[in-house]
Amino acid sequence: MVTLATYFAGIDVGSTMTKVVILNHGIIASIIGPTGPEQRRLANKVMEEALKKADVSLQAITYIVSTGYGRINVPFADKQFTEITCHAKGIASLFPNAKTIIDIGGQDIKAIKIDATGKTVDFVMNDKCAAGSGRFIEVIADTLGVPLDQVGGLSLQSKNPAKISNICTIYAQQEVAASLAEGISVSDLLAGVHKSLADRISRMVNRLRVEEEVIVTGGGGKNKGLLKALSEQLGHQVLVPEEPLITGALGAALMGSEIVEKAKQNHIPFKTKERILEEIKIL
Amino acid sequence: MTATRAAASVGPMVKEFITGTLRARAEGKQKLAYTFIVCHHEEIFRAMDVIPLWTENFAGICGAKRDAERFLQRAESLGLSRSLCTYALCGIGFDQWREELGEMPPDAPWGGQARPDFMISSGQIICDPRSKWYQASQQYMSDVPIYNIDLPYPLFQRDRDHRDVWGYYHKYIVKQLRGLVAFLEEQTGKKMDYDRLRELVDLSDRTWNLIDETYKLRRAVPCPMGTGDAMNTMVPINFMMATQKAYDFFLDLKKELEEKIAKGEGEIQEEKYRLMWGGGLPAWYALNDFNYFNSKRASFPVETTYRMVAPLYEMDIPETKDPIEHLAWRWLGFWTFWYDRAQKRPGSEPDVERLINWIEEYKIDGVVMHEAFSCRSWHVGLIWQLHQLAKIYKPIPLYMIGKGGKKEKGYRELPSLILESDIIDITSYSEVDTRNKIDAFIETLESIRLNKAA
Repeated sequence: MVTLATYFAGIDVGSTMTKVVILNHGIIASIIGPTGPEQRRLANKVMEEALKKADVSLQAITYIVSTGYGRINVPFADKQFTEITCHAKGIASLFPNAKTIIDIGGQDIKAIKIDATGKTVDFVMNDKCAAGSGRFIEVIADTLGVPLDQVGGLSLQSKNPAKISNICTIYAQQEVAASLAEGISVSDLLAGVHKSLADRISRMVNRLRVEEEVIVTGGGGKNKGLLKALSEQLGHQVLVPEEPLITGALGAALMGSEIVEKAKQNHIPFKTKERILEEIKIL
Repeated sequence: MTATRAAASVGPMVKEFITGTLRARAEGKQKLAYTFIVCHHEEIFRAMDVIPLWTENFAGICGAKRDAERFLQRAESLGLSRSLCTYALCGIGFDQWREELGEMPPDAPWGGQARPDFMISSGQIICDPRSKWYQASQQYMSDVPIYNIDLPYPLFQRDRDHRDVWGYYHKYIVKQLRGLVAFLEEQTGKKMDYDRLRELVDLSDRTWNLIDETYKLRRAVPCPMGTGDAMNTMVPINFMMATQKAYDFFLDLKKELEEKIAKGEGEIQEEKYRLMWGGGLPAWYALNDFNYFNSKRASFPVETTYRMVAPLYEMDIPETKDPIEHLAWRWLGFWTFWYDRAQKRPGSEPDVERLINWIEEYKIDGVVMHEAFSCRSWHVGLIWQLHQLAKIYKPIPLYMIGKGGKKEKGYRELPSLILESDIIDITSYSEVDTRNKIDAFIETLESIRLNKAA
């Protein structure tokens, strides 16, 4: 981790979860909370919790960068970057040999090629359809009555993965329900779903030429069954950060530290927003 | 918002054209024909005083005015799938509605599309709806005849000179065009005036060369005119060819660009990134995305889309005094324009070769393409082109950490962005997602710019 003289914060407002990372000499606090319809209010709330956990005041944060779909809805952020840039930066700090990043988020997937300095050289995004994203797994888990955190482990028990031919989330849900009625086991169905998902993800990722190390981030990184299927499909080992949900926020914080370092080196002042959090009212 | 006066004048020009066709329909003195662009038959139409009704153009207008959905829905209700060409769906939906009412559908864009006297379809290699669309429309206009012309060209073969076979193609195309002349003579009751046709072909040839000279001015830094404007100036290229108006338009545009270059005026003043629109028809309802690129200091000096002309003096085509034979040679010369150069570069293909040449000529930093889901013929192969381009062409010098941890100079490929939506189906488009992709692409370009080796 880069040695930092002061505090930096990164906030990643994703479609499903909002994440905050506060850096000093390494990560001193990280918070993950659900993104609701009121992104602006939630950004304030999650930041407040992260500050409390880090035991620092908002005024002590030198620079704040926001990222993710809701990045413009973070009133106290000094600068915004896309999640592509921030994931690249965050992953490169954790995996110095990373070349390919696959971010399996709540509503979309992204594949990013990076260079040795953590800079993006190419990327692809799927944004048209929930198929291939975390939402797909959520819908299937709900149909099968399996808690989300058990989906990965259960699928690894499969001896004969089912064949799931539909890629549309809604049709796949119907297909899984019908297969369940036919007596196919839950673990075989989940393994089949992961195989289908991995196939869809790898087709997109292969638009970039995949090079190792391949890192999976986002909520999908927590699903061992999906990781196994994806690794088989890609023909590459896939690595996962200890906490795959926070790499975007981590990268955002690191982007902030870079901006400040550069400004200091060049003796240029850097602008920051007023350090005020809006009052959080429970509606 | 357009960068040039010329591009700004195109909207009213199109409106005037549509109004003119409606007036002509009402007067009944001239015959009107549905037809398609890029068929090298405009000169034949104009020599016979037939007014072409460019049906793709009208669908594009509906899309640009964000008023295509009701016609698409009507086509769907007729049993046609939304996954078919949405230009065709929009046109068929419009035709059925107009025929059902016996008048224009309510609030038809710019007064609507006039009823044709006949329809000239074209079974081109690149687009199958061009032969099926009018057959579907004919269900609602059974009294309107169709004449189909077939315009093939030899496909690229790495180990074969296309000139070995293009004589056969030429003979066939000439026959097709003469068939069209005969059909028009029958429909209009007039004989073709070949002297007039020759003059119009000559006018088109001069316009082709003038367009090429004009567009090459966009190599200047900063670029004086971008693709956003070119999506307007495609109108005189593709819908007004063989008219003095089109020639004069490009004379004016050339003068305007020369003036801008002399004053150092660009599409954007502080140009930072130069991008190529490397393929795909645009999302007509989202042309404002070009302005969004501009707001990030990215300009578009060149595009492969709708630049359906090439310099005739660079074409190796036989000379002939017969205007029909010349049209057929020009057709073959245009579609095989990049073949020789592609053969010389290992791994290249004509479309990839064009990208490489223009990347160099226009000093391009990145390539943007648009995958329109409903148009297979123009969009299949775009991703392959990008793959091939990345494989055989690495123009960006970068310092990299090589073996033994030493800093080495290497080269990498240009970054690319693929946008996804449709030509006129707005339900396939998300402004938020598209702009998020554009933002990420700009950040990628910036990181490459900062890391570029001297």
